[in-house]
Amino acid sequence: MDEKRKDQEQAEAPTQEQSTSKASEETLDVEALDLTIETVEDRINPSETNVFDK
Amino acid sequence: MSFPITLAFVPQGHFTQPYLALPCLKAWLQEAGFADVEQRDLSIEAYDHFLSPDYLRRAKERVRERLPLNAFEGRKSLPLGELRAFRSAAESEVSADAVIADVEGAKAIMRGEDFYDVDRYVPAVRTLYHGLRLVSAAHYPSELTPHNFTMGYANDRSEEVLAATLDEDQNPFIEFYREKVLPGLLARKPRLFGLSVVYGSQLIPALTLGRMVKEALPDCHVTAGGGFLAYIGEKLMGATGVEECLDSMIFHEGEAPMGELAEALRAWDEAGQADLSAIGSLTWFKHTDVGCETVANAPAHPVALNAAPPPDFDGLPFDLYFAPEVVLPYDINRGCYYGECSFCTLPTVIGPGYRTRSAETIASHLTDLRDRHGVRHFSFITDCMPPGMIRDLPEALIEAQSGIPAEERMKWWCDARIEPRAYTKEGAKRLHESGCRKLLFGFESATPRLLKLMRKAQSPRSVSEVARNCSEAGISVTLYAMVGFPSETAEEARATLDFIREHKDVVREVSLQTFHIDEVALTYRDPEQFNIKILDGAGTDLQLYHDYLSEQGMTQQEAAEMFDEMMNALRADLPIFSGDNIYYFMQKSHYFLHLARGTTPDEFVAQCQQRTEAHQAREAAGLLRANASRTSATLPFSHVAAANTLAHPLARAARPDFLTGRFVADAQAVAEEQLEPLPPQECVLVYDEVGHEFVELSRDGLRVLEAIERAGNVDNLLQSLNSTNPGARTRLTEYITQLHRKGLITSFQPATAVPSSFTEPHELTSL
Repeated sequence: MDEKRKDQEQAEAPTQEQSTSKASEETLDVEALDLTIETVEDRINPSETNVFDK
Repeated sequence: MSFPITLAFVPQGHFTQPYLALPCLKAWLQEAGFADVEQRDLSIEAYDHFLSPDYLRRAKERVRERLPLNAFEGRKSLPLGELRAFRSAAESEVSADAVIADVEGAKAIMRGEDFYDVDRYVPAVRTLYHGLRLVSAAHYPSELTPHNFTMGYANDRSEEVLAATLDEDQNPFIEFYREKVLPGLLARKPRLFGLSVVYGSQLIPALTLGRMVKEALPDCHVTAGGGFLAYIGEKLMGATGVEECLDSMIFHEGEAPMGELAEALRAWDEAGQADLSAIGSLTWFKHTDVGCETVANAPAHPVALNAAPPPDFDGLPFDLYFAPEVVLPYDINRGCYYGECSFCTLPTVIGPGYRTRSAETIASHLTDLRDRHGVRHFSFITDCMPPGMIRDLPEALIEAQSGIPAEERMKWWCDARIEPRAYTKEGAKRLHESGCRKLLFGFESATPRLLKLMRKAQSPRSVSEVARNCSEAGISVTLYAMVGFPSETAEEARATLDFIREHKDVVREVSLQTFHIDEVALTYRDPEQFNIKILDGAGTDLQLYHDYLSEQGMTQQEAAEMFDEMMNALRADLPIFSGDNIYYFMQKSHYFLHLARGTTPDEFVAQCQQRTEAHQAREAAGLLRANASRTSATLPFSHVAAANTLAHPLARAARPDFLTGRFVADAQAVAEEQLEPLPPQECVLVYDEVGHEFVELSRDGLRVLEAIERAGNVDNLLQSLNSTNPGARTRLTEYITQLHRKGLITSFQPATAVPSSFTEPHELTSL
């Protein structure tokens, strides 16, 4: 739940020193990356719109 | 002599509130002298059981055995017939653990104060939906949703329906009944067992339980009744093998026949003889030396409603429904005082005639139910209220609650007919004062020609006037609209859509449905009147619905496509339909509960709009890192492509029809022919375990997330980029913004002092 997200956001963060060294382990060739991202917007089925009848 | 009776509302009905049939029967039977009446809402019990960590753990294992994800690897293409299996396997793989961990919390949110916090409500609803997908995958190809239950067996063939009652691999209710229902019944030993079957989704679960009860308790008489059986009951009782699941069936109202049946069985027990042939509206199996004969008795007289007792809800598990407050159904009247609409077949369900309780009786019953059960909210089960009742009921309710502060008075909602002389400004104000918070009007169409064909006797202008009066009084207005009525053109359907859009300041929800023809409708009995030709059925013995050809207007297929066009437009234009807010509409009483709590329709709509706009414009700001609470799996085909293909009208037509569970003839073959198989496409399905959403990325997308993780945060990653191309940095930044909107990047607070460059975090969009 979003409470969980808040908890996570408040968790201890890594220091800069720890992390920049790890970042260099793999270099991203950003221009060549496939950066598609999609979510399913579930279409509303006619069967699920008579919610007041059921 | 004791005479235990058990009544069961079988799965599947919606999970937000109890249904009315059993409480009406229980009250009637008790008044008739049968004190020992137990009622079970097995639908909510099943939902609660299935949506539990233990059950879902077992479901997860079953999915891995029955639908292993690696079975799809190496395939050159994926045809339509395998897309649901693929989608089910993929979703289960990434979501099962998080759903198992959060499902109890999600139910607690639905049932408690957190229900009113949208940030907790939406992920909780998603958790329940995804839990049901896991249950469904474990019984593939069966599908249990909040709104339906279907199997791979057709509901319009008795042979298949009966086979489904024995298929434990696909029928999740066999195990549920055996473990959770039969032990109690064996201890109780009811003499009469009644199954309530209001919807097509209950047919197989009802016959499954009937069979199991008859096997376990041979002396128990098993009967069934309800709206759906009023349509197909006669055919069902003529089908071979049904006598193994039922002893009798009751048509239309069940109270009087059920009482007489109980009397007859008690007489049999006491005197060794009874005459079932005198019980009105009962069809029963007469067992003779040479076999089993179906006997259909004459119809019973309708119940004198005003003299009938109020429904008795004792024994129903109020704490199990997925709502923070139970909304009780109550029948203010039965039948329709208007009764002219050419598409309506509801008299088939309840029986002929219009009857009503008096306003004083209603007010008295409601206050009694309020005091007895500690509830404050009601949904009136009615086709519509006549103008006299619209005038009298508010007065009676206001008088019955005089001295009670307005916010503590009972709140209610119900269906309504457009009656401009009753829903005046003053009339609407009195309705609101009496607790009315939502009215659902049969609008159907904005085209006068069609309204005339439907015999609605209403004009778009009167709809506009009534909707505005109600809205101004603070009553939320929902319109029922229809697409695909015989001869309706695409332009006419769009006119209906335009009307709704023009009234979006007063119309909050729309229940849009595609038109169907069933065998009792006027459109079936007199097709010439509507310029249509009814197509022969598939020859199925329980057929109720028919396809048709129309000489003008949209075809059924075009109407299905128009439904999508209209629904997409409504989702863009109506705030309650936008984004995640649609869950409030989809869960029956959930929006009403906000209204009942004091939120006005304007306030609720504004909240929905604000939330959708904020989500769409959400910028990634502050310290950001990858959401570690995620599970991902690499897939050989696109999950999104599979879902989109399955949502195509042709693919949906190949699924069992909602109302009857029938498989439309040739629909699968047509869909297979016209919808291209999916090509292989490696992608990564990610489940955000916090927001409970599926997101599909490329492999590179996952690499970006992993790179952020290794870097510790987004700033570190951006600083470490070797690229001097500002375009590359912008591209990555925009992608990170998208990941943030999808919940895969989250902001966080540093726990310890950090260098000054980290205390003034970058605004990603300005990089």
